[in-house]
Amino acid sequence: MLPTPDVKDVDYDLVYEPSEDTFLLLDTLEDEQKYIREKFAGKVPLAVEVGVGTGIVSTFMQKHILPSSILVGIDVNPNACATMIRTMQQNMNAGDEDAGISDTVQMSLLSGFRDKCVDLLVFNPPYVPAESVPDLPVSVSDSSWLEVALDGGEDGMAVTWELLHNLDDILSPASGVAYILFCARNKPDQIASTMRQKGWKVNTVGHRKAGWEVLSILRFTK
Amino acid sequence: MKFLTTNFVKCAVKSCSASQDSFPLKYSECQLAKEESEYNPDFVCHMLERLDWDAIVKVAADLGNTSIPPQKPEGLDPIMEDDQAILRDLHSLLVETVILEGKMTCSSCGHIYHIKNSIPNFLLPPHLV
Ligand SMILES: C[S@@+](CC[C@H](N)C(=O)[O-])C[C@H]1O[C@@H](n2cnc3c(N)ncnc32)[C@H](O)[C@@H]1O
Repeated sequence: MLPTPDVKDVDYDLVYEPSEDTFLLLDTLEDEQKYIREKFAGKVPLAVEVGVGTGIVSTFMQKHILPSSILVGIDVNPNACATMIRTMQQNMNAGDEDAGISDTVQMSLLSGFRDKCVDLLVFNPPYVPAESVPDLPVSVSDSSWLEVALDGGEDGMAVTWELLHNLDDILSPASGVAYILFCARNKPDQIASTMRQKGWKVNTVGHRKAGWEVLSILRFTK
Repeated sequence: MKFLTTNFVKCAVKSCSASQDSFPLKYSECQLAKEESEYNPDFVCHMLERLDWDAIVKVAADLGNTSIPPQKPEGLDPIMEDDQAILRDLHSLLVETVILEGKMTCSSCGHIYHIKNSIPNFLLPPHLV
């Protein structure tokens, strides 16, 4: 078992607290470590985590899964961006030999990212079915940032579909791979078959019952 | 925001996505700092392969550095002393240079994005989404 990064001094009224979904993502990335490393051997891949929250997943990736990479963490929540940088710093040791580079941007999905350059994409989205996707709070210290972390609109899929529809333009054509988390109410089987029809290879690489939720992680490649 | 990140971000406005001018953004009124980090020559070498060099040159010039070679240095060898010097300079520019505060302007639509506390903000006002 790879150690879970320390996450300290976070205001969980403003930033999503690592939960069952987070830990399934960490465990799945650990299972996928060999596959990921082999895929990007001898390169400096660009890894992007969308929706970093505390940054625990990004830190885990940079420390244990794909160290010599450029990692960019994206979130709409400025508190999350700042927390990610802190979590990263708290867990990386000076002199870490193959430490890569990490940075953060405040952005919705990959709207301000250049096309077709992401090698490894990871997304634990707001996946809870809800009436609508909440508007972004105006103030930095507004507790409705937590709703933004959870509420995914229709079927909990409104935000995730926006990304999936653009996956072709996001991932690097040569080697791109995306890991995305779903709950059962997102109907991951239907999503997988829709994406297969569009030419994607879809594998279920993580699956877990967490309380009354059933979570799974799908891997998308071309 | 690290200098390196400027090589991956563009204007977030939908109608700019097809425009050549939406990348790189134009950087102005920037306050810079140096953040020391471990120098790894192999990493810098491999990183170079994936960078858009013209954008590096442009952004460096925006930030007042006009000493970047106009062509991407090819075939650098971390063992050669001359190459070492170049790689160190690139490490210092791309990895250690951070933009603490500043503005990023899209040359296609003119929209201005802000960098505050080292975090660039690409969220758009509702009328541009
Ligand atoms: C379920 S949380 C996951 C946080 C963290 N990755 C984890 O696993 O603990 C979802 C995150 O996505 C962010 N988010 C929501 N909508 C977003 C969007 N359109 N673009 C980028 N991030 C978004 C939220 O602010 C929140 O931090």
